[in-house]
Amino acid sequence: MFLNSVILILQEILEAALLVSVLLVLSKHHGIKPIWLLPAIIIGVTGALIFAINMAQISEWFDYVGQEVMNAFMQLAILFFLSFLTALHPKNRWVSIFMLITTSLALTREGSEIFIYIGGVIGQAPYIQSTHIQPTLTGAGIGAGIGVSVGVLIYYGLLGLSSRYIVASSVLLLALVGGNMASQATLLLTQADWLPYSQILWNSSALLPENSIFGHLLYALVGYEATPSLFQVISYVCGILLVYLCWCFNLSRIDHQAKYKSPDINVHINI
Amino acid sequence: MALSLVLFGSHAAFAATPVIKIKIQDHLFFPEIIEIPAYTKVKLLINNLDPTAEEFESYELNREKIISGNRKAIIFIGPLPPGEYPFFGEFYPKTAQGKVVVVEQ
Amino acid sequence: MSSIRVFLIASILATLTLFNFVAALQGYNSSLQEAEKLFDSQLFDTAKLISNLHVDKTTSSLNHLNDLAFQIWHESQLLGASTNAQGEIITELFPGYGYANFNGYRWRTFVYFDPGRNNWIIAAERTDIRFALAETVIIKAVLPIVLSIPLIGLLIWLIISRGLKPLRDLSSQLKNKQINDLSPIEIPAIKKELEQVIHSINTLISRLGSAWDREKRFTADAAHELRTPISALKIQLHNLKEDLTTDNEAFVQLQSGVDRMQHLVEQLLSLYRSTPSEFSSHFTPVDLYQLAQDVIAEQHQNFEKKGQTLELEGSTNIVEGDLFSLQTLLQNLLSNANKYTPNGGIIQVSVERLDAQVCLKVEDSGIGIDPNDYSKVYDRFQRLHNKSMITEISGCGLGLTIVNHIVELHHATISISPSGFDSGTAFAILFNNVDRPNEK
Repeated sequence: MFLNSVILILQEILEAALLVSVLLVLSKHHGIKPIWLLPAIIIGVTGALIFAINMAQISEWFDYVGQEVMNAFMQLAILFFLSFLTALHPKNRWVSIFMLITTSLALTREGSEIFIYIGGVIGQAPYIQSTHIQPTLTGAGIGAGIGVSVGVLIYYGLLGLSSRYIVASSVLLLALVGGNMASQATLLLTQADWLPYSQILWNSSALLPENSIFGHLLYALVGYEATPSLFQVISYVCGILLVYLCWCFNLSRIDHQAKYKSPDINVHINI
Repeated sequence: MALSLVLFGSHAAFAATPVIKIKIQDHLFFPEIIEIPAYTKVKLLINNLDPTAEEFESYELNREKIISGNRKAIIFIGPLPPGEYPFFGEFYPKTAQGKVVVVEQ
Repeated sequence: MSSIRVFLIASILATLTLFNFVAALQGYNSSLQEAEKLFDSQLFDTAKLISNLHVDKTTSSLNHLNDLAFQIWHESQLLGASTNAQGEIITELFPGYGYANFNGYRWRTFVYFDPGRNNWIIAAERTDIRFALAETVIIKAVLPIVLSIPLIGLLIWLIISRGLKPLRDLSSQLKNKQINDLSPIEIPAIKKELEQVIHSINTLISRLGSAWDREKRFTADAAHELRTPISALKIQLHNLKEDLTTDNEAFVQLQSGVDRMQHLVEQLLSLYRSTPSEFSSHFTPVDLYQLAQDVIAEQHQNFEKKGQTLELEGSTNIVEGDLFSLQTLLQNLLSNANKYTPNGGIIQVSVERLDAQVCLKVEDSGIGIDPNDYSKVYDRFQRLHNKSMITEISGCGLGLTIVNHIVELHHATISISPSGFDSGTAFAILFNNVDRPNEK
């Protein structure tokens, strides 16, 4: 119970921590006060609770594929709000609102699975040996600890970059989050039979199995799949391109508007 | 072959999608081994008889879905080439283990 | 603003947590593998043991947990079994280890073929129980690593706070330093890393102090020395006026130029006349309302010339202060209002009591000051209005610097805001050292 508790919680926390730390870095870099964080956490945790409590009903929507459809919907919403906020001028007041929405959605999605799992283990305490509870909670602690630590290190790592590369690297990470969201949404919609099957493009499970610790980390951070389908790869690339193009649009506009005013905004991405 | 599946996979197979029933009881899958035909889309109807939720997960099938306690869920898999595709319950992986065996017909 | 302390605590704790927890995971994994091996070898021994025993179908359960089961098969005939495995075959008869779902549980199985008796022995152990046993033991080793993290965090917090104390001391010393306190910073037991910083700051302060002294002395001396030739000039001008019969434009200009020069010198002298400590020793009670009346009476004709309305509101309010410099303060504020308010404008002076303070306010309906420039008005020789205004309006740009200096000498505060009129500026000075009539 310990190890799968670690993996489950690590994966969810890590996805959220990556998004939150990158958004915090962008906030700090552009001098936006991170007032969106606390409301986002409150809304996200509340949303996760509501989502978790009603999971049984939601799953039965749309002829028993409600869970996939709702999750895919939230993932696509995260992708679009991320793109919007990269496309906006950093001083636009909608930027913090979009950061709030994106973080709330991500926390709702990630948090609900944790609530269902931990709630299940604690809720069934009278039925099973209580030996399960301590390992599960210890595992949850370790998973959360690793996830949050990686988030903190990403945050300070990005802030430690020279100011020319902070924005470029943050946007690169956001683009990977966007790609991950798009690819997961595609997978869920295929599972729900809303999208047709497409062939598996490769199998790298011998090279890096998805169920290894490193595989789990990469899955949470960049959406690694050992056996991705054609549509998944296409949507992954589209997700990355969407965020990247939104940013290019923003960059060209800022360059155009204030060529001499703020020389430090002239950042160029190095991929 | 693959291209035609991409193009009409969803609709051509819809009418004849076979349904396989699986139940979860005491954190075990029954049956634990499921045989399905190759290159055919299959609908898994999973009935969770436990009071606790379980998450059906398979790295090989690329599937992941929470099934609430005392509820049913549907998961579509395939079309798949012949082979063995293990799956497990992510919440109780030590006991909830099973595999899909895809056989050529 | 980012904090060094938060950065150090968060990043050190994150690094420690990350590596500790990953190490704990690694430890858990390898311990569990070892435990599995141990259990497997026990299962092997059990199977071997059973093969050598004479058992029949009624054999009772093997242990109290009922998590072990066995069957002995001889050519598809069940020779013997534990009570929990009386029915169907547990698993397929392939020699070696495996897993099987049986009797509503998942079992780890070991199948052993005894060639001597031609018997198949299946020994099985419930995976959930053996896993829980192993895990309970291993978790005991992992749990302290998790629980120690808050303690480590607390210790790191204490150590870093201690380590950053000299820096905090330095910044609080700098923060509490009065603006004109040019004494060197003193920190007991200077740390090596801060030595250079403190040394540089102190060198800078002492150089600033001597430069400040030099400047003050130079300006005061120069102004003082200029007084004599200006007085001489004035006398010569007076004589010249006697000689000139007709009005001469050049003469008028010359006279106003000399007047301005004299005014400038007087302002400079009053600016550098005193320092705060020697100044407050000869404070006397001053009635601001009476003072305002006097200054208005004195300057009245300037306002009349421009057709401006001058109003005085309020009542008698007495503050501790220096009469001469308060007079200069009001003169400067009024003459500014006069200069920067167009013909026919309104200037309002008020003296009011606000709780423990007295507020002296001069408001005008003049051209006003851009709020972005509020912080600059007290700078020396700063004239904020555009060039065309400057040429029309005489002044040297020292007036508000002197006002501010006098305000500081009285430990009062001054603020600028847009006036209550459609345009213009309001200067409000709050005096703290108020004479309370009821206490007398």
